[in-house]
Amino acid sequence: MGSIDAALKPRLRLRTRAEYAGWIFSILAGIGILTSVLTNPNFKWHVVGKYFFAESILRGLMLTIFLTVASMALGTLLGLALAVMRSSHVKPVSMAAGLYITLFRGTPVLVQLIFWFNISALYPDLRIGIPFTDIGMAVDTNAIMGPITAALVGLTLNEAAYMAEIIRGGFSSVGKGQIEAADSLGMSAGTRMRKVIIPQAMPSIIPATGNQVIGMFKGTSLVSVLGVAELLQSAQLIYARTYETIPLLIVASLWYLVMTLLLSYPQSKLEQKYSRATSRLPRKAKPVVLTDPEGAAR
Amino acid sequence: MSHDGTIVAQKIRKSFGPKTVLKDINLEIASGEICCIIGPSGSGKSTILRCINGLETVDSGVLKVNGEDFGYYETATAYHALPPKKLAEQRTRVGMVFQSFNLFPNMTAHENVMSGPVLVKHADKKQSAKRAHELLASVGLAGFGDYYPAQLSGGQQQRVAIARSLAMDPEIMLFDEPTSALDPEKVGEVLAVMKDLAKKGMTMVVVTHEMGFAREVADSLVFMDDGYIIERGDAREVLSNPQEPRTRSFLEKVL
Repeated sequence: MGSIDAALKPRLRLRTRAEYAGWIFSILAGIGILTSVLTNPNFKWHVVGKYFFAESILRGLMLTIFLTVASMALGTLLGLALAVMRSSHVKPVSMAAGLYITLFRGTPVLVQLIFWFNISALYPDLRIGIPFTDIGMAVDTNAIMGPITAALVGLTLNEAAYMAEIIRGGFSSVGKGQIEAADSLGMSAGTRMRKVIIPQAMPSIIPATGNQVIGMFKGTSLVSVLGVAELLQSAQLIYARTYETIPLLIVASLWYLVMTLLLSYPQSKLEQKYSRATSRLPRKAKPVVLTDPEGAAR
Repeated sequence: MSHDGTIVAQKIRKSFGPKTVLKDINLEIASGEICCIIGPSGSGKSTILRCINGLETVDSGVLKVNGEDFGYYETATAYHALPPKKLAEQRTRVGMVFQSFNLFPNMTAHENVMSGPVLVKHADKKQSAKRAHELLASVGLAGFGDYYPAQLSGGQQQRVAIARSLAMDPEIMLFDEPTSALDPEKVGEVLAVMKDLAKKGMTMVVVTHEMGFAREVADSLVFMDDGYIIERGDAREVLSNPQEPRTRSFLEKVL
């Protein structure tokens, strides 16, 4: 005892009984689940392996990625327009945007998808032209509203409502003083939006958008109800034939998991980057030699 | 006769909901005049400034800035609000410096100073850049152009903000407690820039608690309390020999 100098003794953190119990429980449960998953023949891991890189699955994955990217991009653009409209001082404009957001956030996206797929029941042909005249052209709705188009339209319009709220939230995070400064310089509303508000709103918009991308990626599985052969539907098409339901759902799930993990890496990077930007350090700090100390000219 | 640089206010009233902050404001400021507005907080002094710049609209009364009705045009029966473009045009002739600087954090000091001429007046970029350089030098910040606001001290930020306003070549400069958010040691550098400006014949309206600045630089002093102008006169005279008891009791507390 007392052989170590008291000043050099390490400081140990508190270990509670709950921590030990938690470890023991987790390890036992982990071993249990893992043995069950690996030994239960009904999982049919060899089937999972067989279909993981199957051509139709990969084609479905590509379509899923396409739907995610396309509807996110279009939805963000439309959402930006809606957010600008929503913050407008012109009442009918902001109310129109508000109504849109309420409608599309207030109804399930699954219902919206089926609705757009069946839009021809409401409007058998789509007419482009001047209202109440015969000028213009008409096309058969069913000819353009195929399953993929309906999926794209449904996902985009729904996403736009959510992006509008995220972007508007970003706008309102910009201080009132910034708007006053822009106004007092005589800036127009458009310039103020582009040069002052949007650049400062980005730090709060970007991370939330990253979340939306991940959500959208998994959300595309809903369009399988329209018969679009995206990832889930591709798996379903196979097990409808082979009855290997569980293994093929595992194939699809693993792909969703892999893609989500791949997406969350850039997302966390972006989050870090923009949380720094809101702190005191500017994005591109330039090293400047202090040639003129404060107020040296006077 | 040119009215550039003048401000005329007659019977101005302004309420925020049930609270009337400006009750009956009559004020004339001549071209080139340096006018300091003092008074307890909540007396309406910042609100007057914000009205002259159009950040607030007055409820009633006449407000002429640079000889023009500000933000409105007059007809036989009413004042009609101007379209945003016209209002923006009037605002470019009135510079505003805020207590909290309000520099654009996404732009460097140099870009901040250039923002008015380039983004609002669509002036030539090269010339604006040169001008911004000179303006930064004139407020003692030569060589600080590439700094972002977050890298500058409060005093430096406020001097950039002054340069940003000056870049628009306004006839009138408004200062809303420009030194109140600063460390005491940084107050002097901002006041020095303002003194320089005063010598150049710019009309300046300064809401301030810096009695020393008022005594040294101001032509006239306005004391406000509870939405009224209580006393107005020569700055040094009012400070040394206030006529109104309310002015006297306020000055006793702050001096």
